[in-house]
Amino acid sequence: MLDDLDQDIRDHIERETQDNMDRGMAPEEARSAALLKFGNVTRVKEETRDVWSFVWLEQLLQDTLYALRMLRKSPGFAVVVVLTLALGIGANTAIFSVVQGVVLAPLRFKQPDRLVMVYESNPRYPRVWISYLNFRDWQRSSQSFEQMAVFNLNKGFDLTNPGAPEHLEGKEISAGFFNILGVKLARGREFTAEEDQQGGARAAIISDRLWRNRFSASPDALGKVVTLNGADYTIVGVTPPEFLFEGRADVYTPMGQSDPQYLSYRAAHQLSCVARLKPGVTISQAEAEMKAIQKNLDEQYPKENRDLGITIWPLKQDLTGDSSGLLFVLLGAVGLVLLIAGANVANLLLARSAVRTREFAVRSALGASRSRIIRQLLTESILLSLVGGGLGLGLAAGGLKPLLRLLPSNPPRAQEIGLNIPVLVFALIIAVAVGILFGLAPALKSSKSDLQSALKEGGRAASGGRQRVQSTLVIAQMALTLVLLAGAGLLLRTIHSLGRVDPGVDAQHIIAFRVGVSHSLTKTVPATRAAYQQLIERIRNVPGIEAADFVNAVPMTGESAIMPFWIGSNKPESLQAAPRIMGLLTGPDYLRTMGIPLLRGRFLTAEDTTSSPCVMVVDSLFVHKYLAGTNPIGQTLSVGFATMGPCTIVGVVGHVKHWGLDEPGVYSMGQAYLPLAQDPDQWVQINYAGLSVVVRTSLDSATIMPSIKNAVYGAGNDQPVYRIETMKELISESMSTQRFPLVLLGAFAVVALLLASIGIYGLISYSLAQRIREIGVRMALGAARRNIFQMIVGQGVRLALIGLVIGAAGALLLARLLSSFSSLLYGVGANDPLTFVIVSIVLAAVALAACCVPARRATRVDPMISLRHE
Amino acid sequence: MSTKAEKERIELLQGTLDMLILRTLLLGPAHGHAIAKAIEFTSNDVLQVEQGSLYPALHRLIKRKWIIAQEGISDNNRRAKFYRLTPTGRRQLAVETSKWEKLAGAIARILRPAEQESGS
Repeated sequence: MLDDLDQDIRDHIERETQDNMDRGMAPEEARSAALLKFGNVTRVKEETRDVWSFVWLEQLLQDTLYALRMLRKSPGFAVVVVLTLALGIGANTAIFSVVQGVVLAPLRFKQPDRLVMVYESNPRYPRVWISYLNFRDWQRSSQSFEQMAVFNLNKGFDLTNPGAPEHLEGKEISAGFFNILGVKLARGREFTAEEDQQGGARAAIISDRLWRNRFSASPDALGKVVTLNGADYTIVGVTPPEFLFEGRADVYTPMGQSDPQYLSYRAAHQLSCVARLKPGVTISQAEAEMKAIQKNLDEQYPKENRDLGITIWPLKQDLTGDSSGLLFVLLGAVGLVLLIAGANVANLLLARSAVRTREFAVRSALGASRSRIIRQLLTESILLSLVGGGLGLGLAAGGLKPLLRLLPSNPPRAQEIGLNIPVLVFALIIAVAVGILFGLAPALKSSKSDLQSALKEGGRAASGGRQRVQSTLVIAQMALTLVLLAGAGLLLRTIHSLGRVDPGVDAQHIIAFRVGVSHSLTKTVPATRAAYQQLIERIRNVPGIEAADFVNAVPMTGESAIMPFWIGSNKPESLQAAPRIMGLLTGPDYLRTMGIPLLRGRFLTAEDTTSSPCVMVVDSLFVHKYLAGTNPIGQTLSVGFATMGPCTIVGVVGHVKHWGLDEPGVYSMGQAYLPLAQDPDQWVQINYAGLSVVVRTSLDSATIMPSIKNAVYGAGNDQPVYRIETMKELISESMSTQRFPLVLLGAFAVVALLLASIGIYGLISYSLAQRIREIGVRMALGAARRNIFQMIVGQGVRLALIGLVIGAAGALLLARLLSSFSSLLYGVGANDPLTFVIVSIVLAAVALAACCVPARRATRVDPMISLRHE
Repeated sequence: MSTKAEKERIELLQGTLDMLILRTLLLGPAHGHAIAKAIEFTSNDVLQVEQGSLYPALHRLIKRKWIIAQEGISDNNRRAKFYRLTPTGRRQLAVETSKWEKLAGAIARILRPAEQESGS
């Protein structure tokens, strides 16, 4: 239909010309009158074609090809824009993929929003681990849940058969655990109620990894025997390969077969409970029911349960932890970087459109409508941002690994982070959005240009409006950069303050590790005590070891032993409501090993045994809080639900920052050192199994550990040595909460600073080019070079200062936000004046420097040349 | 060029051109230039179209199957493309016309209420 359109139009105009000539016009006149009457031929053709085509698709192709040609003509421009956007979009994509994996993605379980964690609570802590007997009572009474199961977060298993001995991380779980999560085992079945009790058949479920390593993925593995902690278990199931829940586990055994001492003790709070809500039951309904049940239990068992409550959390919130808020702040921060990058791109596009004024004038004279020109320009900017986005995806893919390594030691749900579909969609959306957002202002500005003047001025039209937009963008860049700088500054000061905190232990020469003492040696209480005593002696005799001892909770590892206490005979009515103390079971060499200072009296000695009076040593914080103004030595202290004491306080030592250098307020508590040798017989086997060894040595870990392992293996037993960590690493890890956001915010701030200085440099250079004639005139009229310099620099500095003022408000907001996260800022106030002054000075100085370069160029303008310019 | 006469010419409402073309073709097939002339002539040059805008409109009508294009020989013995009304187009013209009359009537009532009153 369109084939002969050209011919039709030619015929039409010819006829009109003929008509006009018939009316007596001269041929020339007749033709031009006919053309005038016909209108813009190009536009007519285009509009006619539009009737038949998928207009937008065809025009898009056209625009894209045109855009590609234009960009090829100015590769420098294209490369700068694409790289700027790649940086911005890449950083955003990487951070978003973390947020997506950790916070947004649903848990990989069946109907994950019906899954909850049930915790107990006491007047001091909103969430405490739960006790097994309470759990069994809940199971019997509660109606809110389809099913409930308990598990312990981590149980060590020493595997001795089949194959070489190995220490494995595992969990004890109650029957129904996998069913609640909706996880179908890859092979076999989960534990039955019969297995999940004392005396039940010893059954184990193993991980896919263990199944492959120890049983070469053989289907015959079911029914085979593994020896764990000295007992034989029959394998009944294998987990699916991707299964991961609250930390890695290679072995699962029935909870009901755990140590009876510990299961039958109602005050032992060691377990976690996961449950699936019945359809239609809300968390608050379940919580109300559980609170009523718990209240009954409290009355039934006042000694152990008094003042215990219930807290129910969605499982997702439990797994994500409080990292989500901080991640969103970081996503916001990286969004600011994108805005700053986009502002630069917009400025470049504006400057370029100024040069292209003539091109647009010609196009619209040839019949392009305004919307067509805007579309053309948007196509160009979106094309640039898409290429930038593609490159950014590459950056994100490459940067994700190092980024994840930065995450705090145990990133929740880290395995779900990756460049998956939602992340790709996100990258695509922001690329297009950035293309439109930052292409729109230049496009609107350019398409509005006055045809006639543009053509007359030969494409060098200066546009006041354009410059106003550019100035606004530069001010915004300055403001946003200040916000990021201030955030990074506060975290930097935090890390600096933390670096000066005294951890209370020697940070340099301590190594901690665990030993799986052979189960053949720990069948009885006296044998256990002897085996551990021999073990520590062997380690002490290793050349290079200056001191060594056991402890039940190594500082900075997150291990703890929190218990209620009372002084003298003031036993509180409610132990749940009583203040808490960290009760560290250890030996006489611990103080020397850890480098903790002795302040008064004496530390534990080898003479403190079961046959001597019970003694304890407390720390300075405890004395300060509870025994201030009295002589602590000689007073008595009792600790724990299964009470140890009253014991005589024989010494005071320095406080250790057990929870990390920033030791958050809720965790700050006194410490008591209890002699391991005086541990009551009924707890020996449970307590000793949880001991770590700490050694003091001036040798590094790689040198000394082989000798230590030899000494341990030398006992002729298969005893794995595992969880080897130096105190230096532990302290450094304890700062990862701050280091992760610091490194990211710091990187964002540096990039922002760079982009913003390029932005202001670009603006000043551009306006200089526009004003070169004016400067020439000024100089010809006698303006000193100094005045010109001041004028140019002044323009930039004014913009920077406006940006600083606006940015200061934003920065205060971010600071408030950062300080709202518990334990993020340390040793620095949210409104820290020093930080704000310094970052403002840094930003102002960088802006000034960026302005000086073009300004110096301005002073070298030769009036004669500049006046001839244009 | 900016004469008084030009200012008095009325710009065509969107869609009105389509109706005028259909109305013109009701009298018989015609080629593009003839349609333009006919519209100008019958409206006493008051309705002035840039002649070019006829072509997108013609193609729009072809696409809707209200008219068809045929090769033919014009009065001066030259090859030309003739446009012819289809039955659908004929029906459509009736619809458009009655719509237009309603609209015109309504506007007339609004603009000349006094006369209407006095006339009643």
